[in-house]
Amino acid sequence: MARGRRDEYEEEEEDEEEEEDLEEEDEEEEEEPAGRRGGKKRRRSDFIDDVAVEDEDEEEEEEEEEDVGDRRRRNRKRSGSQFFDIEATVMSDEEEEEEEEGEDDFFVDGGAELRDDEERAIHRRPSILMQPEDQLDVDELRQQLHERYARSSHIEYGEEATEVEQQALLPSVKDPKLWMVKCMMGHEREAAICLMQKYFDKGAELHIRSAIALDHLKNYIYVEADKEAHVKEACKGLRNIFSMKVQLVPIKEMTDVLSVESKSIDLTRDTWVRMKLGIYKGDLAKVVDVDNVRQRVTVKLIPRIDLQTIANKLEGRDVGKKRTFLPPPRFFNTDEAREMHIRVERRRDSNTGEYFEMVDNMAFKDGFLYKSVSMKSISSQNIQPTFDELEKFRKPGDDADGDLASLSTLFSNRKKGHFMKGDAVIVVRGDLKNLMGWVEKVEEENVHIRPKMAGLPKTLAFNEKELCKYFKPGDHVKVISGIQEGTTGMVVKVESHVLIMLSDTTKEHIRVFADNVVESSEVTSGVTKIGDYELHDLVLLDNMSFGVIIRVEKEAFQVLKGIPDKPEVVLVKLREIKNKIDRRTNAQDRYRNTVSMKDIVRVLEGPSKGKQGPVEHIHRGILFIHDRHHLEHAGFICAKAQSCIVVGGSLGSRDRSDSMDSRFGGLRSSDFLQSPMRLPRGRPPIDSGGRGRGGRGHDSMVGKCIKIRLGPFKGYRGRVTEVTGELVRVELDSQMKIVTVKRDQIADTSSMATPYRETPRYGMGSETPLHPSRTPLHPYMTPMRDPGATPIHDGMRTPMRDRAWNPYVPMSPARDNWEDGNPATWGTSPQYQPGTPPIRSYEAPTPGSGWANTPGGSYNEAGTPRESSSGYGNAPSPYLPSTPGGQPMTPSSASYLPGTPGGQPMTPGNVGLDIMSPTIENYISGEGEGGWYLPDIMVNVLRPGEDPHVGVVREVLPDGSCKVSVGSTTLTAHPGEMEMVQPKKSDKIRIMSGALRGSSGKLIGVDGSDGIVRLDDSLDVKILDMVILGKLSVQ
Amino acid sequence: MFFHMVLERNMQLHPRYFGPHLHEKLTTKLVKDVEGTCSGKHGFVVAVTKVESIGKGLIREGTGFVTFPVKYQCVVFRPFRGEILEAVVTLVNKMGFFAEAGPVNIFVSNHLIPDDMEFQSGDIPNYTTSDGSVKIQKDSEVRLKIIGVRVDAAEIFCIGTIKDDFLGVINDPDATA
Repeated sequence: MARGRRDEYEEEEEDEEEEEDLEEEDEEEEEEPAGRRGGKKRRRSDFIDDVAVEDEDEEEEEEEEEDVGDRRRRNRKRSGSQFFDIEATVMSDEEEEEEEEGEDDFFVDGGAELRDDEERAIHRRPSILMQPEDQLDVDELRQQLHERYARSSHIEYGEEATEVEQQALLPSVKDPKLWMVKCMMGHEREAAICLMQKYFDKGAELHIRSAIALDHLKNYIYVEADKEAHVKEACKGLRNIFSMKVQLVPIKEMTDVLSVESKSIDLTRDTWVRMKLGIYKGDLAKVVDVDNVRQRVTVKLIPRIDLQTIANKLEGRDVGKKRTFLPPPRFFNTDEAREMHIRVERRRDSNTGEYFEMVDNMAFKDGFLYKSVSMKSISSQNIQPTFDELEKFRKPGDDADGDLASLSTLFSNRKKGHFMKGDAVIVVRGDLKNLMGWVEKVEEENVHIRPKMAGLPKTLAFNEKELCKYFKPGDHVKVISGIQEGTTGMVVKVESHVLIMLSDTTKEHIRVFADNVVESSEVTSGVTKIGDYELHDLVLLDNMSFGVIIRVEKEAFQVLKGIPDKPEVVLVKLREIKNKIDRRTNAQDRYRNTVSMKDIVRVLEGPSKGKQGPVEHIHRGILFIHDRHHLEHAGFICAKAQSCIVVGGSLGSRDRSDSMDSRFGGLRSSDFLQSPMRLPRGRPPIDSGGRGRGGRGHDSMVGKCIKIRLGPFKGYRGRVTEVTGELVRVELDSQMKIVTVKRDQIADTSSMATPYRETPRYGMGSETPLHPSRTPLHPYMTPMRDPGATPIHDGMRTPMRDRAWNPYVPMSPARDNWEDGNPATWGTSPQYQPGTPPIRSYEAPTPGSGWANTPGGSYNEAGTPRESSSGYGNAPSPYLPSTPGGQPMTPSSASYLPGTPGGQPMTPGNVGLDIMSPTIENYISGEGEGGWYLPDIMVNVLRPGEDPHVGVVREVLPDGSCKVSVGSTTLTAHPGEMEMVQPKKSDKIRIMSGALRGSSGKLIGVDGSDGIVRLDDSLDVKILDMVILGKLSVQ
Repeated sequence: MFFHMVLERNMQLHPRYFGPHLHEKLTTKLVKDVEGTCSGKHGFVVAVTKVESIGKGLIREGTGFVTFPVKYQCVVFRPFRGEILEAVVTLVNKMGFFAEAGPVNIFVSNHLIPDDMEFQSGDIPNYTTSDGSVKIQKDSEVRLKIIGVRVDAAEIFCIGTIKDDFLGVINDPDATA
């Protein structure tokens, strides 16, 4: 606004000194620093322009854009006065403009203004014309202005403002602030106008100083005011302004808001530009002529013309049809045109003397279209022509020329610090063209080079633009910008400033600008990693297919899919990759040899027959072989394991512990084959699940999440609360309801479908401290694991029912079951895959067989005795005792006895350890609950082929077995052969596990599965799980 | 270029070899370990010619292995930029051809093949002059000049050219066959 005032002054001065030299005055004005003018003037002009522009907008088309700009600038000149007596001037002003428009293409730039006298005269005219009216108000206005801006710091302005003075013009804290107000999208100008109108209407009531709508800023207008409240007040009631959110523009940024983008386009011949409008929008064009006066440039384009349409048009046939498709860019061919009976005129350009072929008012030369366009309709900033485009532009025959053109563009796009000391450079322009040298020093634009040639001064200074980096064939370079960024390779050929390099990884030729390259000894293929995925990783894709990443591009991967016999490469985005497959599996080759990773195999059949190389990945029987002689797909070949043969010994298997390998090699060798094979051998899950369930309220079913398959509740999921015979009571997840359904109408959703591996909690929780120790031996993903894992599952499946029969065995896995069987776990594995359980049930029998007979042995064989035992060994099952009494009566003897997890202790050294050291820490720790029998506990001794008899544990032996006195005899029994006698109310008991292990007390009550115990020593009353209570013998 | 030079290496020997043939064993192991390897510094070790000296062995704790410092003479091969080599073509494609000079892989880009030679795809991809007199295909022997060497830890890769005087095919498999 200060500016407004200054201008006002000027105007006045002008008015007064009118008779004096007008021109001088004018010059003064011109000499004023651009900063002052550029910044603030814009504000005004925006304000005012809107009036003018709005009216004419409809009339104006493409080309008029520049006119608008012109006019705007002209307006700006006058606007100082205009602003303040709009009623008086606006109308006449517009008329003026309209008159003027036709005449000139006059362009006023913020900084350097060039005008001729005539222009000046025109320009001056309005103010002269306005004078009479102006004069009336001027004094008043001046008064007003004085009042308004009395405080402002920059009242004076000299003939020539120095930089310091300019600085002083910057807004300070004292100045009104600028507020950003949201308005309706597309109605920015309207909003500003509304505010203006409001100001006229209300006058001083409105405390805002100005309102600005910027063309480039959508959805917001700026309002200048002292207080936010003023802004809100002013915006009140205007429907296209949302004054809810008013943001203050920081003082520092205030100037930016109004600063005019420096439009100093340096359009010269041979610059690459892009078209902004029309059918050529986005097309690359080359400037062939610049007319600065008329603001027009002649560009060379690859024509997008449809000869047929032209022919039709010329012959007057259905021209009316609107263009529906965009003709592809193609060089114009005179002969073709003639064939279509299009008249091709040959005309000589009067200025240049060059010949053009004229067709339908279009000028062609050498196949290119020469088009005169306004400067506004091309963009010349940040043009990075791609190689393809340049290639297209370069018609065969003229290579030298084209390079120069791209050079000039390249230079304008150079980053700062482009040249570094030591870079080899070549001079590309000027007298010393083709002089080579090395960069010695870089100073801003100037580069000092040490010339290669003798007899020249030590260093020569060149402008940056005269130099280009230079490389020799054979140099190892790295691309530092552009599409190929990051790629390294060796320079194969140098074509002036274009290099052809051979990528290190892909062994492909890449064309790059010498400017985008630095010498480097590093070897990369550019980016090798996005997210978690790296080059050459095996990944699982969205659609369950898989493949190897063979190339990492900027935001995507090229993946060679795992489809044998047909190399298929897909481009995938990061999000399309599910996960990395990082499992070390094996496969079998044609002769049933085990193929492991890194084994060298030869492909025996298929398209890649004869190829040979190390196996990089194995997945589902498909091998990814890396053959370094194979050039496609980064050397990767995908082949079926069956069509390959292992060459030489297996490297992979040697690494592993051989005993494991030999033993389980067969098992592991083909992961993918296992499921079908196992199926028949496995016991059907229903079989194992259904047996011996009748009549029991609790069994393995209880607590499980199931899905109802049939009946009125079909599809519901829920948790089993009770099992009675053939009926199961299910608490529905979705309804607060417990329903009874038939047992055969439910499907287990999780227990089986939750693979062991995926829920490490099963065996690996804190309760099994021994388990982790096993892990390093068997990498997690190795199938090795299966045998190891089996016992636990077995425990859950098969032995579980035994245990169910036999609740006195405290080490039942049921606990595991329960612990893990919490809804979360079960619930999270919703797909119930019938295919899965068989695998497990197959696994189960493996050790299970050994279990039944020689459990210890079998574990040893499995190589994981500790784990399995600990899996059982720790878990007292709290749910078992809820049906006390009944159990001991159903000793189905031999069949279940060995199966009872109690069998573990036979594996010497594991559980035995716990027993050996019944130290309190063990129990206090709470983790290593290896609790076993304690002396004086009453147990049922169940031996195969014998009737069960009740005995009293006299002594616990180190291996876990106990000396039990039965009647008068004393025998040694394995823990598996014993089970605790469930105490009854008011029995003396001993606590078998937990922190209180070893304490004795009295069972004063039973509540379901909990026993209420009064401890002997402290007389505390505790509620404990019945299962950890052992009955003390009353002797 | 070939060099005959003395290198040193620490050899680890399993205790089971300790005995009368220890030296012999060491030598065999050395040959097995070293020949055919490539070091960035020296290039490919082509052959061990002589074991100069075997130092005192040092028993390593824990493993029982013994480490001997061994000095040996060997022939190494290292390509240099500007070197002229004779090589056998192993693979021809539209981008150029690969040739092997002993252990070294050399790529000759089609930009570095004389302009009058053109790529002919087909059963046996090859580069042929327009008059058909010279043909580069698999198993051809060519003389080429190395213009670039990339030395990795375990591989040396070169770029060569035959676009120069006296370079090109020196022996055609077809002609001999």
